[in-house]
Amino acid sequence: MPLVEQTAGTAVLTVSEVAVRFGGVSALTDTSLLVQPGTVTGLIGPNGAGKTTLFNVISGLQTPDRGMVHLFDTDITAMKPHRRARLGLARTFQRLELFGSLTASENVQVGLESTVKWWEWRQLRRAVPWKRGSTVANANVPDVAQPPASGSLALATCDRLLEGVGLEGRGGQQSAAMSTGLARMVELARALAIGPKLLLLDEPGSGLDESETAALGELLCKLAAGGMAVLLVEHDMDLVMSICDHIYVLDFGDVIASGTPDQIRSDPMVQAAYLGEAAPVAEPVPGAPRPPQSIPDGFGGSP
Amino acid sequence: MTDVAAAPIGGAPGDRHQIPPSIVVDGVRAAYGRIEVLHGVDLVVPPASVFALLGPNGAGKSTLLKVISGRMRPSSGQVLVGDKAIGKRPTEKLARSGLCAVPEGRGIFPNLTVRENLSIWTYRGGLNLRDVEERTFEAFPRLKERRRQMAGTLSGGEQQMLAISRALVTEPSVLLLDELSMGLAPLIVAELYELVGNLARRGMTILLVEQFVTTAVAVATRAAIMVHGRIEQEGTPQEMADAALSVYLA
Amino acid sequence: MSNFLQYTVFGVMVGAGYAIAATGLVVTYTTSGVFNFAQGAVGMIAALSYWELVSAHHVPVLLALVILLVFGASISGALVERVLMRRLHGASTERPVMVTLGLMVILTGVATLVWNPTTTRQVGNMVNGQFRLVGINIQYQEVLIIGVALAVAVALRALFYSSRTGYALRAVVDDPELLAMSGVSPNRMSQYGWILGFMMAALAGVLLAPTQTTGINIEAMTLLVVNGYAAAIVGRLKSIPVTFAAAIGIGLAENYILNYIVPHVPQTLVPDITNALPIVFLFIALVTVPAVRLRAAGRLTTVRAPRVASGKESLVAGVVFFGLAIVAAIVFSHTVFRGTTILALGGVVMSLGIVGLSLVLLTGYSGQVSLCQFSFMGIGAFVMGNIAGGGSLLGLLAATLVCAAVGALIALPTIRLRDLYLALATFAFASAVTRGFFADGHIYGNGGLSIGRIIVPGVSFGNDNAEFLMVTAFFVLAALMVLAIRRSLFGRRLVALNDSPAAYATVGLNIGFTKVAVFAIAAGMAGLAGALYGTVQGVVGQTDFEIFPGIIFVLFVTIWSIRTVSGAFLASLTYVVLSQVWFNGLGLFAGMGIILIGRAAGGILGIEALQFQLPWVKRSVTGTEGVTAGRQGAIPAIGGETRAAG
Repeated sequence: MPLVEQTAGTAVLTVSEVAVRFGGVSALTDTSLLVQPGTVTGLIGPNGAGKTTLFNVISGLQTPDRGMVHLFDTDITAMKPHRRARLGLARTFQRLELFGSLTASENVQVGLESTVKWWEWRQLRRAVPWKRGSTVANANVPDVAQPPASGSLALATCDRLLEGVGLEGRGGQQSAAMSTGLARMVELARALAIGPKLLLLDEPGSGLDESETAALGELLCKLAAGGMAVLLVEHDMDLVMSICDHIYVLDFGDVIASGTPDQIRSDPMVQAAYLGEAAPVAEPVPGAPRPPQSIPDGFGGSP
Repeated sequence: MTDVAAAPIGGAPGDRHQIPPSIVVDGVRAAYGRIEVLHGVDLVVPPASVFALLGPNGAGKSTLLKVISGRMRPSSGQVLVGDKAIGKRPTEKLARSGLCAVPEGRGIFPNLTVRENLSIWTYRGGLNLRDVEERTFEAFPRLKERRRQMAGTLSGGEQQMLAISRALVTEPSVLLLDELSMGLAPLIVAELYELVGNLARRGMTILLVEQFVTTAVAVATRAAIMVHGRIEQEGTPQEMADAALSVYLA
Repeated sequence: MSNFLQYTVFGVMVGAGYAIAATGLVVTYTTSGVFNFAQGAVGMIAALSYWELVSAHHVPVLLALVILLVFGASISGALVERVLMRRLHGASTERPVMVTLGLMVILTGVATLVWNPTTTRQVGNMVNGQFRLVGINIQYQEVLIIGVALAVAVALRALFYSSRTGYALRAVVDDPELLAMSGVSPNRMSQYGWILGFMMAALAGVLLAPTQTTGINIEAMTLLVVNGYAAAIVGRLKSIPVTFAAAIGIGLAENYILNYIVPHVPQTLVPDITNALPIVFLFIALVTVPAVRLRAAGRLTTVRAPRVASGKESLVAGVVFFGLAIVAAIVFSHTVFRGTTILALGGVVMSLGIVGLSLVLLTGYSGQVSLCQFSFMGIGAFVMGNIAGGGSLLGLLAATLVCAAVGALIALPTIRLRDLYLALATFAFASAVTRGFFADGHIYGNGGLSIGRIIVPGVSFGNDNAEFLMVTAFFVLAALMVLAIRRSLFGRRLVALNDSPAAYATVGLNIGFTKVAVFAIAAGMAGLAGALYGTVQGVVGQTDFEIFPGIIFVLFVTIWSIRTVSGAFLASLTYVVLSQVWFNGLGLFAGMGIILIGRAAGGILGIEALQFQLPWVKRSVTGTEGVTAGRQGAIPAIGGETRAAG
């Protein structure tokens, strides 16, 4: 894809022609996309289009059958998940993956301390009985409680991260006992705590109410303004259309469209894919159905 | 597609037409652990209707189908299928009494061959493998060539055909379909929904969850939109389709 | 050449016996998701029952087989599934392991009570006679065993691939929920899996019993199936043909090694090598298993975590505990108890308490299971007794470090794999160490290994009083350390790893490294405990660190609460007291206890009704109460009251 080659030097994430098959079912077919620094990139498409599979490929939970994934200039296609995270790749999960027996602030601390060696003396010393619980500061972590413009030199700590995602005062709660909305924010704070350069968010808005969604949107814009690259899978189109700089539309494991929110919104092909207009029982939208010969699962295709 | 409605089906409950089956969901709340996802759902699916349940992802549609099929116990409220509360009856008992649920994803056993999958359908009672195969291959000739192949190696569309063949051959009185079209090309979706229409014409009560609004609305006789674990609106399919657009693409 | 053929035939026969047992394990595992650690114990009970029927009561062989296999094994298999296993759905991953271990120690306990171990019970061949073929003698019994194994393999193949029940048994592996939606009870299928597993265990036990030339030994028969573990692992716990072939291969390899290599090594090493073979095979097998793929499971811990005591609280509790120990020391050394062994027993309680603490760290926090902590104790005591004359602080340090290193070596091959494989490796290691290394006179000497009291210049630990207080001090320090670890970054990582491996990796943490580290620390703690135990006892021998007491002790800790320090102490106290009262009944207590506790993750101490508050140790928990109310928000006006019109 020429698009990939032109701008590969500056992109945070470059996914080139990745393919994944599960048994006879093709989950991703030669999917390519780019995520630029300082932008929020949306990834939308109907259920089962392969968005979560793509996230798993990027974060290392799924090895692709073909294709490459680059983080900046590093080829991370075969790298272990924890190594990718150390290069600055963080993610959240569609079905929450919290450290459920830990409190909210402990969840975040695990992220904050992820580069710390536990056997170092200053770590061990923190745990002696007469010391109170430790809190870690990390200069690489965005201080989401402060607007980026202020130029604050304050280091991000656990409390400030929790405050930044709207969880002030809830740090002591066991995370498994929290509602979905709050739990999503704990996951987000934990992901931010590793100081990511690229943040993958898998439906962060589901389970959130309107005001929480608005706050999430604001936060993501702020993170992008601070230079972070965000790749967002989301079903809430209000959110996607209002904060994304660029949107990719995935259907049958293939990018069928990409562009600005306005371009995407007016693209008839996208509407068709999203609403399933192609079914003959409905009025066909002109130009909407994909040509049958390119359908991966079609009767004409090989098994 | 061959019309299979004419043939009498062995093992189908004979009293289906005397007591029309319907689904009544009454104040159902359900939670995964401590996280509640259904906050009091009320829903009535009239007998012999096709009811489309629409709504954005994470609204709790699939969870509601899990509750109705007995795979998940509600924390409060109750579900009646054919005027009988499902109570604590296990999933397999409900399945044998004529409730067929085709789950999200692919409702097949990937490490069994097509034929072995079909053989599992015969547990519904009164069926033998020969009839099951005949009926399935009549509706989906493509599966016949692949009957010795592992079901997991079929294409997505073929897998979904195999899955829905369970509803076709076991002739349930109530059918629950979860995202039949997920990840499938429009042509195949069309074919599958043609079959759903056929099943509906035989008097089956069908509750389907679907994200493709237009697809669902075309076969439905009634529809509702679910958001945030509650039924938000209910009405004719066309009304719901218009409302859904504002929920889906802002 | 004829020797080679002779060994081959014998190897194939032994392998066939393993194959039956191993495929039984695989059948149960695939259909129910539970690895039955009691498989060998079932075979042992079957072998002893067979002896009882045929040798003692002269029941015809065929009738005895029908009674044992068709009725005994199938009914008990069905009962075990229905009564013990079915209610474990949704329990933490370690719990099914614990319950099958509980069943194992119950069966060995019952066997010890019913069949006095001092009597020799020799089972004759089912068929006598032999024939000659290409220059070697082949016994009909050998032909029978190989034939039965082949018949079992063919029958299983037919069941799984040409019958509807077989399809359903395979389907339950793929998707139990979908099977239920198709009208088949997944529980019923699991039950069939347990019945088949039990029948095959019993069959293997009955067939292999005559090969036990020194009579049926309860422990040896129970551990015989460890050889089958490696085969089951090569078959990745799912493929029956591969498991079968691997079992035959292991039987052959074992016999070639025994006949060609063992005769050339020094006599003293023979039992070591013989008994180390299963674990060598197991480790080779582990290397062949492909790494498990990390999955986002969407699993949420719903169990309330015990509140972690703060530094100050634990320090106060530690001081109070030590104060009570001083009072106890004074009472027991100056009153009517004077001259009894109570303080020495107290020292044993404290040293076993440290082993319990190592399990809190390993299993309670990080969710991994070790069944060889007593083996580390034994190694620790061995190191202690051989460094600087036995009574040196240096010995304590060396015992800790050596055991930590051995622990790391055991954990390494399993880090890529699911936690079950670690439990299997530790079981095999404990079995090898118990029967080989420890059982051999050259390790502990024939009269046991003497370990002196610790000598520190200026302080004497010569009397029981001081010794008891010293071991108590070590226990308190270890407890404070475990709590400090839990509060520290490492502790948070352990709990995090247990809760969500996928999230653990994606925040940049190395799963394998953490697993090995915690296993090594726990092994080191057990080594220290063993060294201290040695100084309390003065002399240690092979009977101190056997596999079954070690497993029973793990069960005791689980019963009390494997997630708290108090659980470790209470487990150690009850274990030592009960072992004084009725040693042979320990297994029965442990097994019944674990069955009664069932899926309750917190053990006895976690039961809500027993929660109480001490002024200095608050056992309350964090987190909000009750079910979180549904999210009110977004669209309350429309969303609230919509009711479908008919």
